[in-house]
Amino acid sequence: MRRINGRVLRAVSAIVAIALLPACGSSFNTGTITSDSVKIGLLIPQSGVYAPLGTDISRGFHLYLDAHGGQLGHRRVALVTADEGAGPDSGVPAGQKLIQQSQVAVAVGVVNSATALGLIQPYNEAKVPLIIANAGANALTGAKRSAYVWRTSFANGDVGASMGAYVASRVDFGQVYLIAPDYAAGHEQIGGFREAFEAAGGKVAGADYPPFGTTSNYQPYLARIQRSGARAVFCFFSGAEAVSFVKQYTEFGLAPTIPLYATGYLTEGSVLRGEGAAALGIQTGLHYSTELDTATNHAFVAAYVARYHAPPTVFSVAAYDAAQVLDRAMAGARTGAQIVAGLGRLGDIDSPRGTWHFSDTHNPVQRYYLREVRDQGGGLVNAILRTLSS
Amino acid sequence: MQWLTDNFITILDGVAFGLLLFTIAIGLSLILGVLDVLNLAHGALYLAGAYLAVQFFTGRVSIWVFLLALVMASVLGAGAGAGLAFMMRPLAGRGHLDQALLSLGVALVLADLISAVFGNDVHTVSPPGFLSGSPQLAGFTYPVYRLAVILVGLVLALVVYLVVERTRLGALARATVIDAPMVRAMGVDTRPFVAGIFAFGTVLACVGGVLGAPILGAYPGLDQYVLILGLVVVVVGGVDTVRGTLVGALVIGQVEVLGVSLLPRYASFLVFATMVVGLLLRPGNRMRVAAS
Repeated sequence: MRRINGRVLRAVSAIVAIALLPACGSSFNTGTITSDSVKIGLLIPQSGVYAPLGTDISRGFHLYLDAHGGQLGHRRVALVTADEGAGPDSGVPAGQKLIQQSQVAVAVGVVNSATALGLIQPYNEAKVPLIIANAGANALTGAKRSAYVWRTSFANGDVGASMGAYVASRVDFGQVYLIAPDYAAGHEQIGGFREAFEAAGGKVAGADYPPFGTTSNYQPYLARIQRSGARAVFCFFSGAEAVSFVKQYTEFGLAPTIPLYATGYLTEGSVLRGEGAAALGIQTGLHYSTELDTATNHAFVAAYVARYHAPPTVFSVAAYDAAQVLDRAMAGARTGAQIVAGLGRLGDIDSPRGTWHFSDTHNPVQRYYLREVRDQGGGLVNAILRTLSS
Repeated sequence: MQWLTDNFITILDGVAFGLLLFTIAIGLSLILGVLDVLNLAHGALYLAGAYLAVQFFTGRVSIWVFLLALVMASVLGAGAGAGLAFMMRPLAGRGHLDQALLSLGVALVLADLISAVFGNDVHTVSPPGFLSGSPQLAGFTYPVYRLAVILVGLVLALVVYLVVERTRLGALARATVIDAPMVRAMGVDTRPFVAGIFAFGTVLACVGGVLGAPILGAYPGLDQYVLILGLVVVVVGGVDTVRGTLVGALVIGQVEVLGVSLLPRYASFLVFATMVVGLLLRPGNRMRVAAS
C-alpha cells in the first residue's frame, strides 16, 4: 500500500503541476507580439504513425531557435508544443486550441495534409500565420491557397514531377509501372510524376494503389509488375511501408532486372537504415540530401549531428527554414498581417537545401536533386548525382 | 496453363500466408469449438509475439536466437492462456457477450501496454540469417523464409490433425464440442484440458506472431487485422474440424494474395466478400455462429 500511495502522490503532484502551467503562460502578453517576446505554437504529431516526423520537425526548429539565443525576430520565443496526433480528428482541434486557448501569434508544423486543409479557415479568420513544415497537399498552395497559410516544405505534385523527364529518358521508350499507397499524397505524387513523364514521351504500363496503412505484403503487386512487362517502376512510399516495399522488391527478385525510381521519401532518414542493403542503387528525386556540397549544408549537418547524434532529414530542414523565415519576417512586425507581409518580402532564402523563395501562392520554388543510395563507408547515404529542375 | 505459370509464385505466397493464418485460426477455432469461448484477445497475443520478434531479431539473427524467441513466445502464450482461462472461469454459463467483453478488455490493455513500451512506430523485421535469401524456384525468385513458413505450417497442421483425430485427448475434445454435459456425465473431468486447450491456442497465437513478423512486421493495429482474418477463417472453415480450419485458412490466404493480385482495386473488400459467400454456402455453420 505504501508504494501505491507514493505513486498516487506523484500523480497528484503531476496533475497540480500541469494545472499550474497555463498560469505561468499567462504572464506573456497573449495573442499579440510584444516588443520583447512572441508566443509560437509548434503543432506536430507526438503520437501515431507520423510521430518520427514530428521529432525531426521539432529538432530542426529547435536547432535554429537555440542557435539564435532562443529569439526570432529579435524577440524571446515562448514555444507551445501541441500534439497533432495521427489524423485531422485530433490535429484540427489541437491547431484551433493553439489560436483560441494558447493565443499564439504564429503556428508552425503540421504533418498531415487533411489536418492542414482543416486549419486554413480558422487561421485565416483569426489572422494568425500558419507555416506548414511538411503537409504536401497540392491544394494548400493551389486551389485553396490563402493569405495566412505558407509552406516551407513541398507540394506533392512538384516532388513527383521532378523525376518525370529523367525516368522517361532512362527507360528508352519502355513502359513504367506506377505504385503508391491509396491516399491523397500517394495519388498526388504519382499524378505529378505521370503528367511530367507522359509530357516527356513516357508510357505507363499500369498503376496500383494498395490500401494505405494496412498493406504489409506487397507480393501480389510485385507479381502484377512482373506480369506487365514494365521496364521500370516509379513509386511513392514513406515510413514503414517504404521499408516493406523496398525489402520485398529485392526478396522477390525484381531489383536486378526492373530498376526502381521514386520520390525521395522512399529512402529518407530512418527509413533508409531500415532498408539496409536492399536500398542500394535506388534513384530518387527530392529537394534535399545530407550530401549536398554547400557551406550552409555542411554547417547545418555538423550542428545537427553534434546535437542529436543522427543525420538531419528533409523534414528537419523544412522546420529549420520555417524558423528562419519567421526570424526574418517577424523583425519589426506587431500583427499577423504584418508578419505575412514580411514573408512576402523575403526574397531568396539561404537554406541547407540550397537557395529558394516563396512563390506567389506561398509554396517554395526550389531545386530538386537526383539522388542515388550509395554505401559510403560509414553507412548508406543519398548521394547527389545532379540537379533535376527548379 | 500459361495463367498458372504466370501466377505460380503468387499462389505459392497465398499458401504461405494461408498457413500463417492457420496457426492463428486453429487456436481461435479450438477455443471456440471445444471450450465455447470467444477469445478476442487472440490478435493481441499475436501482436505480443510479433514484438517479441522485433526485440530479438536485430542484426544478423542466429538459429539459437530464433529458437529462443520461439520458446519465449511459447512460455508467454502458455502463461497468457492459463491466465485467460482462469479469468474466464467465473463467466462460465454467462454467454458469449461477457466472454467477448472480458477478452476484448484484455486485448485493449495488452495492445496499449505494447504501444507504451515499443511506441507507435511501424517495425519491419528481418528473417533470421540462416533463412534469409531468395533462391530461384523454377525460374522464379522466392524468399526462403516464406518456404520455411509453409513447411512449419504444414507440420503444425499435421500434428494438430493427428492429436485431435487420433488421440484420446482429441476424442474427448471432439466429444466436448458435440455434447459437453454428456462427457462430464460419463465421469470425465473436463476442467484440466479446458486450461490446456486454451493455453495451446494462445501458444500458437504467440508463436504465429514470431513466425509472421518477418512477413507482416509489427505495428499498432496489426492485432485487429490478424484477429479479423482469423475470425473470417473460422466462419468460412467452421469450428468442427481441423480440416475445415485448414481449408478456410488456405482459401483466405489465396483471397488475400492471389485475389488482391488479380483484383487490386477491391483489395480491402475481398476477404469480407469471401466471408459472405462462406456464410451463404454453409447454412449449418451460419446457424452455429448465429446461435453462439
